[in-house]
Amino acid sequence: MGTFDYLLQGFETALTWYNLLFAFVGVLIGTAVGVLPGIGPMSGVALLIPVTASITGGLPPEQAATSAIILLAGVYYGAMYGGSTTSILLNTPGESSSVVTTLDGYQMAKKGRAGSALSISAIGSFVGGIVTLIAMIALAQPLSTIAIKFGPAEYFSLMLLGLAAVSGLAGKSVTKALIMTVCGLLIGTIGIDNVSGIARFTFDVPWLYQGVEFLTIAVGLFALGEVFKTILEKEEDDGEIAKISNLIPSKEEFKESAGPIARGSLLGFFVGILPGAGATLASFFSYLMEKRISKKPEKFGTGAIAGVAGPETANNAASGGAMIPLLTLGIPGSGTTAILMGALMMYNVQPGPLLFEDHPQVAWGLIASMFIGNLMLLILNLPLVKVFAKIIETPKKYLIPIIIAISIFGVYAVQVSTYDLLLLLGCGVLGYFLSKNDYPIAPLVLGLVLGPMIENNMRRALTISDGDYSLFFTRPLSLTFLIVTALWLLIPVLLKKRGKDVVINIEG
Amino acid sequence: MKFDRFAAVAFLAVGVLFMIGSRNLSSSSYGSSVGPDIFPFVLGLVLAALSIRLFYEAYRSKRQESSKEKLEYKPFIIILLSTLIYILTLETFGYVITTFLFLFVCFQTMERSKWVTSLIISAGFSGIVYFLFVNVLKGTLPGWPIWFS
Repeated sequence: MGTFDYLLQGFETALTWYNLLFAFVGVLIGTAVGVLPGIGPMSGVALLIPVTASITGGLPPEQAATSAIILLAGVYYGAMYGGSTTSILLNTPGESSSVVTTLDGYQMAKKGRAGSALSISAIGSFVGGIVTLIAMIALAQPLSTIAIKFGPAEYFSLMLLGLAAVSGLAGKSVTKALIMTVCGLLIGTIGIDNVSGIARFTFDVPWLYQGVEFLTIAVGLFALGEVFKTILEKEEDDGEIAKISNLIPSKEEFKESAGPIARGSLLGFFVGILPGAGATLASFFSYLMEKRISKKPEKFGTGAIAGVAGPETANNAASGGAMIPLLTLGIPGSGTTAILMGALMMYNVQPGPLLFEDHPQVAWGLIASMFIGNLMLLILNLPLVKVFAKIIETPKKYLIPIIIAISIFGVYAVQVSTYDLLLLLGCGVLGYFLSKNDYPIAPLVLGLVLGPMIENNMRRALTISDGDYSLFFTRPLSLTFLIVTALWLLIPVLLKKRGKDVVINIEG
Repeated sequence: MKFDRFAAVAFLAVGVLFMIGSRNLSSSSYGSSVGPDIFPFVLGLVLAALSIRLFYEAYRSKRQESSKEKLEYKPFIIILLSTLIYILTLETFGYVITTFLFLFVCFQTMERSKWVTSLIISAGFSGIVYFLFVNVLKGTLPGWPIWFS
C-alpha cells in the first residue's frame, strides 16, 4: 500500500463521528488553553491525558489510542491558534510562542486593525499547519525506513542527542537543565527493572513496584505548578480588550502578509523538526527574519502586519514539525511532545519507526485528523474570535480551584491511589519552586519518558557487544549522533564565554 | 543564590543516595553482562558532579539577589492545606462531599465575594463530574461516605 492509500484510510478513521467529536473538543479546548494566560499547551495536554483516558476507557485499545491522541494533539496545535488572540487584543501573550506577536499585533489593535491582525494570524496558522502536514506525509515513510535500520546503539545515541538538545536550549543555565534531565532519568529507574526483573529503589513499598507514574509527575509539575504560581504571584489584570471591527483584511494587507506566511511555514517546519527548538524559537526567528528582509524595517513595532503573519505562521508550523521526530523516530523534541509520547505509551502504542507499520490507524488517523482539526480551527477562529476573546474574562477565582479539582480527579480516575494524589501535590509545590528558580521542567519529563528506553537500548547494545563500550563510538551513525550531542552542549557554553547572547527556549 | 545552594546540596545527596542504592543491587543478570545497577550508578555520579558544578556557579554569582516581590502566602497556604485535606479524606468521605467542600473553600479563599455563585458552581462541578464519570462512563469513584451505602 502506498502513502496515499494509508492517508485515505486515515481519513476514514478521522471522519468517524466520535473522532470528529474528539478533534473538535481538542481544538476547542486547545484554543481556550491558548487564550488563557494561566495555562500553556504543556499543562493543558498533561491535564487532559487522564480525562481522555477515562473517556476512551470503553473503546478497544487501538481505537482508544487513536481518539485520545487526536484530542491531545488538537489541544497542542489549537493552543498555537489561541495564543495570538490575547497577544493582539490585550498585549498579554496567552503562551510563550505568541510573545513576539504582541510587538506588532497590539500596535495594530491600537490603531483599530485588530480584526485584520486576528484573521491574518488565523489564516497564517492554517497555512503553516497544512504545509507541515504535507511535509510530514512526504517524510513519514522515508524517515521510518531509515530509522528502522537503527540498532540499539544508534537509538541510544540518538536519544542522548534528543535529551541534550532539549537541555541545551531550555532555561537560563545548562547546568540546571542537565540536573533536571538526570533527575528525570533517575526517577525513571524506580520500579521493577524490565530486563532483570529486580526491584530497584522501591524500599519494599508495593506502590513503587510499577514505577513512578509519568502522568502524576507531569500533571503535578506542569498544571499544579502553574496554578500555584498564579495563586502566589497574583497579578492585577488591567488593560482593556481592544475592539474588534472589520474582520476581513484589505487586499494590501493580504499582499503584505503572503510572503511572511510562506517563509514562516518553511522556517517553522524546519525549526520544529529540530529537537529542542520549538514553537517559541520559531516565532522568534521568523520575526527577526521578516524584520531583516523587510524594505521598511522601521515599521516593525508600530503595527506591521508582516510582524504578525510571520511568527504566527511559524509557531503553528513548528508545532506540526515537532510531531515528525516523535512519530517517525520515537524521540520527542520538546516538553509537549514528550507528554504526547507518554500518553501514547499509556495505551501501549510505542511511537517510532514501527508505528506506521504496527499501528497505521493511530499514525495516519492522527495525520488526517490534523487536516480536519486545522480546518475546524480556521472556521472557529475567524467568525468566533469574539467569543474566544471573552474566555479571558473567566474569573481566576473559579478557574484556579477547578484546575486543581480536575487534576485530582484525573489522576485518581486513572491511578485509583491516594499515594499518587500526594505525589501529585508534592510535584505541584516542587514544580512551582523549581521553575521559579529557573530549573526547567520539560527536560525532567523528557528524561522520565525516555529513561527506560535509553537504558534498555544501552543494555541491549552492550549485551550484543559483550560489555564493550567502544561499540557506541565505532558505529559511524552512533558516533555522529554522539558528536552532535557533545557539540550541542558545548557550543552554547563557548558562545556564552565569548560574551554572546544565546537564544533560549522558554517553552521547552 | 540561596535556593541554588540548598538545591545543590539536595541534588548531591540524591545523587550519592542513588549511587549507594545501586551498589546494593545485584551487578549482573542472567544473559546479560550489563546489570541493572550500571545505569542508575552512572546517573547518580553525573548528578553529583552536576550539583557540585551548580554549587560553584551559585557561589560565584551570589550577590545578585533579585528584588523581592510580594507573594500571596496566605491564600496559597490555605489552598495547599485544603488540597491536602481533600486528598486524605477523598476515600473516606467520598468524592461528591469532599469536592464540593474543597471547591467552595478555595473559591472563597481566592476572592471573598458572591458566595451563592460559589456554592452553585462547586455543587454543580462535583455533582456533574461524579454523574458523568460513574453513570455515563462507568468508572469507579468513591461516591459517598463509607457508612452511607
